[in-house]
Order: sequence, then C-alpha cells, then structure tokens
Amino acid sequence: MIVAACGDDSAETTTTAAATSTTSGATTTTAAGETTTSAGTTGPQPGGTYRIETDGIAYTSGGDPSGEYLGISFGIFTNLLARTLLTYYHTGGANGNSLAPDLAVDFPEISDDGLTYTFTLKDGIMFGPPLSRPITSKDVEFAFRRMATESVVAQYEFYYDGLIDGMALSADLPDSIAGIETPDDKTIVFHLTKVSPDFVFLVAMPATSPMPEEVAGCFLQAGEYGRYVVSSGPYMYEGSDQLDASSCEALVASGPISGFDPENHSYFVRNPDYDPATDDPAVRANYVDRITIDLNTNVQDIYAKIRAGELEGAVSSGNPPADVLQAYATDPALAPLLKEGGDDRTWYITMNLTVPPFDDVHVRRAANLIMDKAGILQAWGGDISGVVATHIQPPGLSGLGADYDPYATEGHRGDLAAAMEEMKLSKYDTNGDGLCDAPECSGVVMINRTSSNWTASEPVVVNSLAQIGIQVAVQEAENHYTIIQTVANNIPIGMNPGWGKDYPDSSSFVGFLFDGRGIKAEGNYNYSMVGLSAEQAAELGVVFGPTVSVDADIDACKLAALESEQGGLDCWNALDMKMMEEIVPWIPYLWPNILTTIGPAVTSWDFDQFAGTTAFSKLAVDPSLQR
Amino acid sequence: MARYIARRLMWVLLVVILVTFLTFLIFFVIPPVDPAILFAGRAPSERLIEEVRQSLGLDHSFWVQYGLFVKRIFLGDEYGWPGFGLSFVTRSPIRENFLERAFVTMQLAIGAAVVWLILGVLIGLTSALKRGRWQDRASMGFALFGVSAPVFWLGLMALYIFWEKLHWLPGTGYSSFSEGVGQWFLHFLLPWVVLALLFAAFYARMVRGSLLEAFGQDWIRTARAKGLSERKVVYKHALRASLTPVVSLFGADLGTLLGGAIITETVFNLPGLGTYVVRSVQNGDLPVIMDVVVFASLAVAVMSLVADILYAYLDPRVRYS
Amino acid sequence: METRESAFGQGEAPREPEVGAAAIVGRSPWQLFLIRFRKDHVAIFALGFLVLLVLAALFAPVIADRVAHHGPNDLFIHDPVKMVNEFGLPLGPNKQFWFGADRSGRDLFVRVLYGARTSLLVGVVATGFAVFVGVTLGLIAGYYGGWRDTLISRTTDIVLSFPLLLFAIGIVGACSASTEGCFGGLIKPGLQLVVFVIALFSWPNIARVVRGNTLSLREQEFVDANRAVGASNLTIIFRELLPNLVAPIIVYSTLLVPSNIIFEAALSFLGLGVPQTVPSWGRQLAEAAEVFRVAWWMMLFPGLFLLATTLTFNLVGDGLRDALDPRTGR
Repeated sequence: MIVAACGDDSAETTTTAAATSTTSGATTTTAAGETTTSAGTTGPQPGGTYRIETDGIAYTSGGDPSGEYLGISFGIFTNLLARTLLTYYHTGGANGNSLAPDLAVDFPEISDDGLTYTFTLKDGIMFGPPLSRPITSKDVEFAFRRMATESVVAQYEFYYDGLIDGMALSADLPDSIAGIETPDDKTIVFHLTKVSPDFVFLVAMPATSPMPEEVAGCFLQAGEYGRYVVSSGPYMYEGSDQLDASSCEALVASGPISGFDPENHSYFVRNPDYDPATDDPAVRANYVDRITIDLNTNVQDIYAKIRAGELEGAVSSGNPPADVLQAYATDPALAPLLKEGGDDRTWYITMNLTVPPFDDVHVRRAANLIMDKAGILQAWGGDISGVVATHIQPPGLSGLGADYDPYATEGHRGDLAAAMEEMKLSKYDTNGDGLCDAPECSGVVMINRTSSNWTASEPVVVNSLAQIGIQVAVQEAENHYTIIQTVANNIPIGMNPGWGKDYPDSSSFVGFLFDGRGIKAEGNYNYSMVGLSAEQAAELGVVFGPTVSVDADIDACKLAALESEQGGLDCWNALDMKMMEEIVPWIPYLWPNILTTIGPAVTSWDFDQFAGTTAFSKLAVDPSLQR
Repeated sequence: MARYIARRLMWVLLVVILVTFLTFLIFFVIPPVDPAILFAGRAPSERLIEEVRQSLGLDHSFWVQYGLFVKRIFLGDEYGWPGFGLSFVTRSPIRENFLERAFVTMQLAIGAAVVWLILGVLIGLTSALKRGRWQDRASMGFALFGVSAPVFWLGLMALYIFWEKLHWLPGTGYSSFSEGVGQWFLHFLLPWVVLALLFAAFYARMVRGSLLEAFGQDWIRTARAKGLSERKVVYKHALRASLTPVVSLFGADLGTLLGGAIITETVFNLPGLGTYVVRSVQNGDLPVIMDVVVFASLAVAVMSLVADILYAYLDPRVRYS
Repeated sequence: METRESAFGQGEAPREPEVGAAAIVGRSPWQLFLIRFRKDHVAIFALGFLVLLVLAALFAPVIADRVAHHGPNDLFIHDPVKMVNEFGLPLGPNKQFWFGADRSGRDLFVRVLYGARTSLLVGVVATGFAVFVGVTLGLIAGYYGGWRDTLISRTTDIVLSFPLLLFAIGIVGACSASTEGCFGGLIKPGLQLVVFVIALFSWPNIARVVRGNTLSLREQEFVDANRAVGASNLTIIFRELLPNLVAPIIVYSTLLVPSNIIFEAALSFLGLGVPQTVPSWGRQLAEAAEVFRVAWWMMLFPGLFLLATTLTFNLVGDGLRDALDPRTGR
C-alpha cells in the first residue's frame, strides 16, 4: 500500500538484536544473521542477476544520499553505492549493529579529551565511472560541506550541526567547516565541540559518504543529485559510465543515469573501479553481477513471482501479506524461504502530557495497564509479526528485554482491576469508581494511520480505553505524522507513531525523543511534550506546562557513555525505566519483525541489521534455478 | 460553423481555467499536507522548513503561485512544453512519469470505450428489436445491474473468480504492450470490462430508447410503406438516426473516463493517472495534482466539443444558436 | 431522459425533459402517477425490500443483540471465541458468525447490518441537501431566466466538468488534515464531511431537471392566468410550480440516492470516507481488497448488500419515472 513519505519511515531505519526477536517469531522462520548458503565449503558462486520487485520505494530526496533517511535507502547506499569512513557488517543480529572500518584503514584515533577524531584513508579506493579517480579526504569533507548547505535539505544534518565545530546550516555551500581538517589526501580530522561517544556511528551514515565536488557540487538543490550519484562502492547504477563529467552543463546534458528512475527502477552493475582488496568480505561479499529492482504495484503478484522462481526478492513497504506469510510458515518446503530480521523499532501509543486527561500520570498508567497488547499483536498478524513491547527501547538497542515489564498483565491482555485501581487515584475519576468520568474523558481525539495493521488494531485500542471510561474519537489520516508533529494541534493521544534508531545507540532513541530542548512548533518529535519549559509552553501556545523534564538524565547518560560502554547502557536503561514508571509518555505495544520471502534460486541471503533491509551486498543466486 | 467552434473553444478554455483555479484554491487554502514540512523530513529546524518553502515556491502569494502555474502550463518550462513542472515529492520533473501514466490510463479508457460501445449498441439493438420479449427483459436487467453495481466490488469479484478460482486470467498490475500482446490483453481485459459495464448499461438503455422512438417516426413508417426490407429499415435508417445522440454522449464520456479511472486503477493496481493523483493528494504533491486536473478537465471539455461538432455534422437538423 | 451518475460521481446531464411529460402530469398529476406505479409489480417488490432494509437498519441494535448476540464493536480476538487465526487472518462464516469475521475479529453480519445505517443515512441526507440546493437553483434559473439562468446554468456546466471524485478526495483529504476540520471548523472530519462533499457534487443534475420542467411549466396557461390576476412570483413558485414539480423531484431524488450511496462507498473504499469505527460497506470492501483471496466473505456480503440496495433504489426510481412518463415504459 501507500507509504507515507514522512518522518515515520525515518523510523524504518532501525536495527535490532536478532537475539530477542528471532526467538519470539514463528519457529519456522530462519533467524536473521544466519547467511543462507547452498552448502559446501566453497561458498556461493559469483555471477548472475538478482531480480527484485518493489511496490514502491519511498524516497525522501530523490535518491540523494545527503537527503535520504529511510531504511531502504540506507541499505542500498551502504551496501552498494556509498562507502563511508566506517560502516556496519551488513548482517543480521548484534554483529550487524557493530562497526567496521570501510574507507578508513582503522577506527579513528581519538584525542585524550575526546574531542578530536583522526581518520586515515585506505589506498586504492576509487570513485566509479564517469570519474574513475581516487577518493581523497577532500571528497569526504565535501559531503559535510554539502550537508551544511540549506538548499540540499539534508534530512539528518541536525546530528552534526553544532557537534562538529563550526558546522551549521548556511545559505550557500560553505567553503570550509572549521572543525574539519584535511592535512593531506589521506587524512581527515574532526574537531567536536562536546564529547560525543556516538560520533563513530555518525561517520557511518550514507550522507557522509565521499562525494566528488565536480559532480555533486553541480546539484545543490534537494533531490537533484539522486540521478547523478557517483558510486564509491562495489556496484554502480547501470549507465553511470554514460555521464559526461567534464562540466556541470555536460553532466545535465548527458544525464540522468538511465539505471535509476525513482518512480520506476534501479539497476545496479559492478563498479569497474572498485577494488575488493580494499574491502572486507565480511562487510560486503558482492557475489552477483547485477541487481535489478523494478516497480510492480501488485504486491500479491510480486510474492507469487518469488514463489514461482521468477524473482529472487521483494522490497516492499511492509511485510508480505498475511496469506503469503501463512502459506510459507505452514509449509515445511517453503519455510526456509521465509526470512526474518529483527527491527530495532518500537510501535507505541503516545500520550500528550499537556492535554487532559493525559496530563495526569495515573490516567497514563491506567491506560498502560488496561491495554490489550496481545490483541493488538493479533490484529497485526500474530506472533510472526513481532513481540509485545514492554518498554521504550527495543531490546536490540540496549539489551533490556521483555522481562522488564512494569505493566505486566496476564497474557498481555490488560488488567481491568489493576487499571481501575490506578484510575481511582486520578482527579478525572470524580466519583472514585475506577472510571474516567470527567468531561475531559470523552471525545478524546486519537490519531491513527489508514493502513491495515493500524486500522485492524484500532478497535482493540478503542475498546481497551473505553473499559476505563476513556472514550476516544479516532481520526485516521494519511498525514498522521504531520498532525501529531504540529504542537498547536494539541493532539491528546495517537496510536500511529513508531520509532526506529538511526544508528545503534540510545542517543538516537530515548536520548533524542524526550529531549525537551528539541520541542518545536512544527516537525516536533517529542509528541508527549516531555521536558516542555514554561517559556516554551507560552511561546507554543500550550495551555498546560511546564512538564516534567529528563534533560538532565539525558546529558548524564551521554557523559556516562563516555566513561564506559556499560556505564552508558546502564544509564540509558535506567532512563528507559524512569520513563516507563514515573513519566509514562507512551504505551509501547510492539517490537516488530521484518519479514520477506526469497526465491528458490537464492544461494546466499542476509539481513542488514543497521538498515533493517536485505543486505544487498550479500546476495547470490544459482542462475540454473531461475525461471 | 467556424464561429460556433471558436465560441465553444473559448468556453473550453474558460472552463479549464476556472477548474484549475478552483482546484488550486482548494489545495492552497486548505492543503491536506504541508509539503514543506513533509519534505524537510525528520526533526527539521524552522529555518530548514522555511528554506524548503522557498525552494518549492510556497512562500509566494496565492496569486503569484497561480500565475506561475498558468505560465508554466501555457509557455512550458525547462523540461519542455507544456510545462508539467517539478514534483514536490520526488523532486524530479513530472513530465516523463505523467506521460507514461497518461498512456496507461488512455489504454484503459479507450479499451473500455470499445467494450462499452459494442456491448451497449448490441444490447440496446437486441432489446429494441425484441421489444417485450425475454431478450428485451434480459437486456434491460443487465442494464439495471450495470447501473447499480459498484465498480470496485465488481472488480474484486471478477478478480476472485477469474484469477483466484479459475486461473483464467493473470492478477492485477500493468503489463505493457512491448512485453507481449497476450499478457497485455489479459491484464487489461478485466479492467476494460469492469469499467465499461456502467457505461454499457447507459448506452444500451439509450440506444433502445431512441430506436423505439425512431420506429414510431413518420419517415420510418414511410420507408416501410415504400417496401424497404425490414433489415434495411432497421440498419440503415433507424439505427443511424438513433446512434446520433450516442456519438454526442460518447465523446463526453470518454473525456470523463480519461480524467478519472481512479477506482478501476486502484482495484487493478494500474500505474495510471488515477492512482498517481490519489497518491499525490495524500503526499500533498500539488504540481502533480494540478497537472492531472488540467488534463482531466481538458479531456472532458475537448471531447465534448468534438462530440458536439460531430453531432452537428451527423444531424443537420441541429442549429447553432 | 435519464439521470446519470457514475461511480466516479461524474454525472452526465439529463436530457431536457420533453414538454409532453410535464403536460400529462399537469392535468392530474397524483392520481395517474399512483395508479400507474401500483401496477408496476417489480417496483413495488423493490420498494418492499427497501422498507425491510430500512427496518433492519433501524433495528440493527436489536437484531445484533437478540439474533446475532454480538455487538458491532465486540472483538473476538482471544480464546475462547477467536475469529482470527494465528496469522491475523479472519475466519469464515459459521453458526455463530453467519457472515464470518473481519480482521479485528468482529461479527461481519452485525457490521454489514450497521453498514446499512451508514449507507442509507449518507445516501438520503446527502441527497436531501443536493435536492434542496438543486431545486432552489433550478427554480430560480427556470422561472426568472435571464442572467440568473445563465449564471446558474453555466455554474452547473462547470461543476459537471470537474473531475469530481478527484475533487472529493482532495476536499476530504484537506478537511481531515487537522482535527479542526475546514471552512473555519464548519465541516468536521468524518460522516459530516462525507455528506457535505457528496451533496456538493450531486446537486447539478437535479437543478437541470427542475430548470427544464420549470421552463415548460412557466409557459403554460395557468401560470399566465395567475400572473394576470397579480400573483407575486413567490406565490406562483410555491402555489403553482412546486406542486407540479413534486413528482419529477421525487423520481430524480430516488435515482440520486443509489448513486450517492455508491459515491460514499467509493470514498470509503479509497480510505477517505467515514472513520473505521463507523461501519460502512465501502470501508468493509476496502478492507476486503487486501485479503479477498483468502477471505471471500469480507468481499461478498457487504458487496451483495450494497448491490441489492442500489438495485432496488434504481428499480423503484425507474418505476416512479415510468409512472410519471409512461412513454418511456417498458
């Protein structure tokens, strides 16, 4: 169905611990992280074409690596087209969340004060056609300068803004950034303004991949560069060699690249300038000669073709339809072809701390206690589609698993008695009968999506809340995110949001979502308004405020992470618990699985934990089995 | 005649301008989505939103924006003429995509038109010739069904029966002519028939009605009295006379179809203008919406103009006043 | 002459009515009309079905409670009565659930029954608004003529040139963009919005019919006679014209209801109609579209009810029209 090209899908960029999610799903599926190989010690044979169809890839910036922030683009770029200073092992499970040197010979040298990061580039790394020239530290620097250019609309520039010394949005392409030095072609030095242990993850994001100024510099309007991307990875768009890079005019005249049309297809062929010796086979294996992704608006048809061997895989905006999942999960012959990967994401119901009746923590706790999470999971597609979420951060991110459940109820079905006890403590239960009965308790607007998993589970949420007297009026909208991200709408409750990590660190999860300093009028992500100050409340026109703040906890955890990795994890997990027990901004309900099917000709397949997609650089086929 | 056509052309132009103006107004005054916020992506700063607003041209006043749009349509833009503009969402020129999708919708509409003309005329003819007999009742029953049945339900039922159960036809989706005539035909067969049914029903009723009326006319009685064979009377005189209104309706209906096979395309997953515009409304992709609206209203207006001219040509009794 | 309104909400203008039809009605409208209609057994049968459907819709809560023993929002998603399987697919018809269940494990029979309420309500109310607007404008255009006629007729032409479904989608999308609704909060998202949008686009056909009929009535002797004795325009409109227009208005309203019901269903099918908590046949069919290959009941039952409703409305409308103007008779 239709993907809202919206902030949410930002959420699709999550990774996870396969350890927790794979055990939860149907036992018939193959766990992520386990590369499927055709047996034998020789490994998969190189060559062949891996054919994929998609019901529509949502691009946030027309395929421009500076502006793409959805998981699918992260997967395509980091596997195929864009090498970064550091990257991930493109595999499932915890290993897929760990970093490996990519363009850099090794992890950075970090100064004693933690503020200076020095990377040395490998020899033999080259841009593909039409340039076919060595990649230098200047090309990496250019990626940052380009990100800082307003017209490019780099979607996650905010991670770097103010962190790298002198990095700030500017109207024109900045000549330089004070905090980035390139003393020679092989060395790049970053000076940070504050200690930030997650910086290593930030240089593994596709927007930081090297970009040649002579090409990318010609396209400084958002979305323009997408169809002229020069590859630094093992593959390139087919037809890249047809570009004429002698001047900007010549580029436009010879372009765009025929192998990439965001509305139609993406065709990848081997990049002749890529030297496998500069890469690690555990990071990218690059078996196939060609990968094709074509548009097919009929999802059922895509999965039918995969089953028939006419395709190897799907890139779809959701999991396969329930009937397809049922067919694969219940047929032992097909079960090995159903692939599963954990998604470092939490689907949740958000409650607004500034809008009655959810300005009362007892109401929020009661809502957590009454929620029939098992029912929601059932309506989503049952156990195969994920596990009931019991707290904010997905276990793959922090290691805190489902055994921590502050609102445990039998079978996750909700507990009416406990919820009513909690509700009695609330001022909105005026007569102490355990039901929300103040006028604020009825006609409470709840935002929802229009896609089927959400609409199917909507009655479960509505009925659950009704049991404690909260009568919601559901409003389903395609632009659900815009609605809840506009503070002035004062939306009390929404069952539409989900959040997935951008990179495997809590600072892109609890450390990002509940920072009161990040609240803004439009495009706000702190839907619950945690940490809203009195000044902000006045400025934004929010009636109830200030709200309880965790800003100090967030800062403390960032410092703790610097001391030791474990200290950081413990601190973030403690914050997760505090959020659940004291602040209660959410009703988390699902840690989802990502599912897909592969064709019978596939001899190697892996899940990419970082991007939450197929690991495109780990695919292999046996052409004799293709139809 | 020339003056009549000139006046009608002016009217077409006026309608298109009014329709686009109102569309623009609706989406401008009450946009379903703020494209700037959508495009600025995750956690945008206010400055970034402002930047996007400027780059999309959303910071201009309503009149300037509408003026630029009209200019783009009439004078073309950097991607050619007429100017289709740049998509807010993909940030790439709309032109190529639009034309591809318009081609899909045209195949759907023209195929459906052929089906409904054949069905409509045949059924109407049968029913008029066999007036009062079971053929007539069956035909009119079909017509009633066609008028009443919701297109999307017919589509689903047809898919269930012919695709899922009988395996006679492939599923939904688009298969282009170049991929093989057989597949192309099979993929379009159901959409054509389902879309045509409603119109076929109207045409059958209309052909029947005007044939019956013609049979009662003096000149038909005269023709019969002159000893012309019944066959000749029916096919040469009566049918011809009764097809004249069909021609005038057909043009307008075809125009309507081109503009909005939205439901059929949705049910059958066809990448045409209908599904394009639904998605664009959801994305707030105003340039695409405007392009489709211009195309659709132009199609309606031009096709009904053509039909009127043809009608006048076929039936000299029509006077232009 | 025929009112045409496709599922796309794109109406074709009805032909101008023949003067003869109005003339017959003009003599003794009601008696002739009723006598003829009573002879039309098919139409009477269809009317009977409609009465049953209205009763079923009215008493839906009672039927749900006493007959089906399930409410429209009861979820059967957990044991012991679980109507979805482990993959979230609904289960088909059985003794307790005559029409099977939907994806949320609700009784489809009860949902379909309640869906009749939505369809009839939206169809009738939207038609009511459309008729009110259409009759008013048609009367003004036909009776006064001149610039008023030109203005109204041209407006009608332009509305009919709109890509209506597209517009409807746009307005619904726009008005659902925030909880405030649109037009200064006048139109709220949900049922109200759907009625508004449908009414907005379905008045032109009625206006055309009324205008045509008024034009021919205006020229008749009794109007002249009234004018001669000094009756005011309003008196003539309400005393003389309107009573003579009642029959055609009833006929075309009856024919407009099914097309508006389909319009609502089409909007809901595209996900832009009534909210999910309000049972609607179009919405149920949209949900069916995703699983119809394995859950045929979700497609079959709401669709059959929808078809039966539009079919009978059309039959009744055709019967009324034939009674009004026997020359088009079968």
